Amino acid sequence: MQTNNHKKYAIIIDTFKCFDCKACMVACKVENSVPQGYWRNWVRHTGGQQGKRTHFQPGQCMQCEAPSCVAACPAGATFKRETDGLVVIDPDKCIGCANCVSACPYGARYRNPATRLADKCDFCLHRLQRGELPACVETCPTKARTFGDLNDPESKVSRLLKSEKLVQIVNPMVNTKPMIFYVKGTLPADWTVQPTLPGNVHMPLEFWTES
Amino acid sequence: MASKINPPISRRNFMKISGAAAAGAALGGRADLLHALSADQASQATEGDRKIFSACDMCFNKCGIIARVDKSGNIRKIDPNPNYLKSRGMLCARGNAGVAQLYDPDRLQYPLLRKGERGEGKWQRISWDEALDLAAEKMKTIGEKYTRCGFMFMAGTDLQSTFVHRFAEVYGSYNILSHESNCLISRNRAFLDTFGIVPIPDTLNCKYIIMPGANRFEALVTPDSMDIVTAMQNGAKLVVLDPRYTKTAALATEWHAIKPGTDMAFFLAVMHVLINEKLYDKKFVAEKTFGFEKLRDHVQQYTPQWAELECEIAAKDIVRMARELAAAAPAAMVYPGRRSSDYEDSTQIRRSYAIVNALLGNWDRTGGMMYPHKIKVGTIPYDAPFYDSNPDDRVDAERAKMMFDEEGSFKHTRDAVIEGKPYPVKGWLTYKTNPMQTGANRNKTIEMINKLDFMITVDITMSDTAWMADLVLPAPSYLEREDPVSSFQGSSACSGVTIRDPIVPAMYESQPLFNIVKALAQRLELGEFFDFTIKDFRAAQLKKLPEVAAAIKKEGVYNEPGVTPGQHEGKPFRTVSKKIELFNQRYPDKGIDPMPVYHPPQKTPPNHFRLVVGRNAYITQSSSTNNAILHQLQPENSLWIHPKAARQSGIRHGDRVEVTSSVGKGVLPARVTDEIREDTVYMDSGFGALSRGLSNVFGKGASNSEIIEDYADEVTGNMAMHETFVTVKKISAVRS
Repeated sequence: MQTNNHKKYAIIIDTFKCFDCKACMVACKVENSVPQGYWRNWVRHTGGQQGKRTHFQPGQCMQCEAPSCVAACPAGATFKRETDGLVVIDPDKCIGCANCVSACPYGARYRNPATRLADKCDFCLHRLQRGELPACVETCPTKARTFGDLNDPESKVSRLLKSEKLVQIVNPMVNTKPMIFYVKGTLPADWTVQPTLPGNVHMPLEFWTES
Repeated sequence: MASKINPPISRRNFMKISGAAAAGAALGGRADLLHALSADQASQATEGDRKIFSACDMCFNKCGIIARVDKSGNIRKIDPNPNYLKSRGMLCARGNAGVAQLYDPDRLQYPLLRKGERGEGKWQRISWDEALDLAAEKMKTIGEKYTRCGFMFMAGTDLQSTFVHRFAEVYGSYNILSHESNCLISRNRAFLDTFGIVPIPDTLNCKYIIMPGANRFEALVTPDSMDIVTAMQNGAKLVVLDPRYTKTAALATEWHAIKPGTDMAFFLAVMHVLINEKLYDKKFVAEKTFGFEKLRDHVQQYTPQWAELECEIAAKDIVRMARELAAAAPAAMVYPGRRSSDYEDSTQIRRSYAIVNALLGNWDRTGGMMYPHKIKVGTIPYDAPFYDSNPDDRVDAERAKMMFDEEGSFKHTRDAVIEGKPYPVKGWLTYKTNPMQTGANRNKTIEMINKLDFMITVDITMSDTAWMADLVLPAPSYLEREDPVSSFQGSSACSGVTIRDPIVPAMYESQPLFNIVKALAQRLELGEFFDFTIKDFRAAQLKKLPEVAAAIKKEGVYNEPGVTPGQHEGKPFRTVSKKIELFNQRYPDKGIDPMPVYHPPQKTPPNHFRLVVGRNAYITQSSSTNNAILHQLQPENSLWIHPKAARQSGIRHGDRVEVTSSVGKGVLPARVTDEIREDTVYMDSGFGALSRGLSNVFGKGASNSEIIEDYADEVTGNMAMHETFVTVKKISAVRS
């Protein structure tokens, strides 16, 4: 437990509640003016039926504790905020190289075709500053996402962390320590990609973990 | 007229937000989040944004919204209203895309008069005065020549549709259609004729739900869609019967790919098991139902073994599900569903659902069929004038055995207009409905329109129906309008009342429907019937409900939480026997089977498929497929076809295929998937638009309304949209 006032924002997702209505995707798109054809978040699913329940799984930037996108950024534009743990992009520093796009094991980043700058989910930082929940969290019909501060033991996310069996979806090669947790049993789990630099340049593990 | 548009935003009904503390007050229950924010963060809140309550209109649900308007007066974002018990603080993809409807570059901007041939798309811009003068003159001349019933009206689900009805009545036409005969009237008929009222399903507290044909995780209904998820988390079982692996099927405890058109066989066999194994609620049935002995004898022929051959669901599973239903009763149900425009006996199919519910004794009990409770609002009453020259009845009268006079039948009206029998109908006004895309057999709709002397469409964009009209009048979207008060039922969660105020002023020259009919009434010397404003109308609606007005002002909605069981105890049912009618006593006189009699569906001809309809969660049929944001989720529809069937026709995933019925055809990409039966194909509605005014969906994909043949439910005249067989032919291979 930290003694300063720093937050550690996290989202816990109960995918049992998701029926893939894509409300979170559209809410995010409008809130953040995400350009046509791009999305900051997604709903993945397991295919086929064969007598099994299909799993729908929402996701977005995981606000990792050890973010490979930060390691990949040559300009210091992508950084993790000390005050709340959110990984954000400083548009004044971003040079649009897109190193961070292929460095993300979750495919959570894209380069905005209009600005030529990197973009991704920031848990709607501007909404948090207004005292509102992230757009995807608030709009969800079944409230599959729970948002909160893990440094606050009374927060809903802290309580869920204690009471529920949670899992993180991590890349087997590089664990970036995501701050999105899923209630155990979520699928699919094997969709992450190994971080690379543009041109499919693979870097040693230390490059991603020692930033 | 122009001076009456763009009413200022009501000061009473918006909330001004100047910081996080005020936002917290508006959003209630968010203190856990707010305390986490430091003061300097709060000061960064966007200055000048206002938050205004309203009700969504991207589908019929009317979920609660809070629109955020920036300093320049534009809507930046629409958020859910957490105070709204019906929608539980949610807003779906369509609701979130409402801003794209408001700022749609395809919006109609001013009145347009047709200049070329119908459907050719040549228009002339005219002034509102010219448009209204012309419309009034046509209404007058058509009314004089063909009687007032010679002009018909059709209004979709909308808070201002009440004014279309009012106008039609004082103008003197009986020929008023709603959207419902393309949707759910056979379900309503069936439950009404069983319980005397259409009950509401308490899905939240239900332990065992059989959902035949409905798709509640895609065809969203608030709060049922969310409540079923909660019920399942609490251990409820959900059984879905559907030829297609919908997302509801995908999440269900059990999915059975029932043979289309055989649901009644399934439920007759369930009755057989419930009765013969004495699993029904004996006390309830004895006290509250009529005709049990007749039903018992009637269902003896319908064994589970017989049903297995019809529905292709194993007899042992039918028996098991009947027993499981009974074990969970009364917190068990056959979910009534909504859209029931499927077969020629769709009322009788829904009767079989209603009767199983009655046998389970779930009426007025927790987790069952609840007694509805809608808050009664007032009105400004009127006595419509009588027109001597008018015929005796609606133009579609007698074409169905028990039609709802107030809804009519689009299918039968269209036939009557084409035939000119029993009398000619030559004028049409449509509002907020798009029968060109929602009524089966589009070519027949065009044929009907070509019989008309004059057609007026009031719409937001150039829908396919507007595309065929003579006069197109631009309406504001729901975000720009002052609407009457609306009373709603939020399933078992609540009843409520809401209101809609303009969040931004009406754009372009758009005029609300109310202003249009009021102006027409004045021109037709009927002004006395519209001698009020919407504010006056609302005041009359809420005259006896001051607490409702206060709550709406404060929270954007008035809620009466929960429907408690036992509300109906001791009251008679509104049926002939005053009981739940397993055997309907009114039916025999009308030539209708008093208990559901099974007739197998038409056999699928060789090399044909049955085409079924449905939808997904991010389109509301044709009213939202052109939305710029939703269009990104689904730019085109596709034909769901099973891999075995596709292989036989040499069709690969993504190939463009032509789907042909006896009445029309369409070309779209194939979606080769085992998520549909081999004998069935499916496509989403709302594509293949004819209107060039819909830039995103013009010519994109196929229109199922063109392909579906028009059959009708024999009881209600509800369009029957699952009776069509199609062939599928490969046109061109997928680009690889």
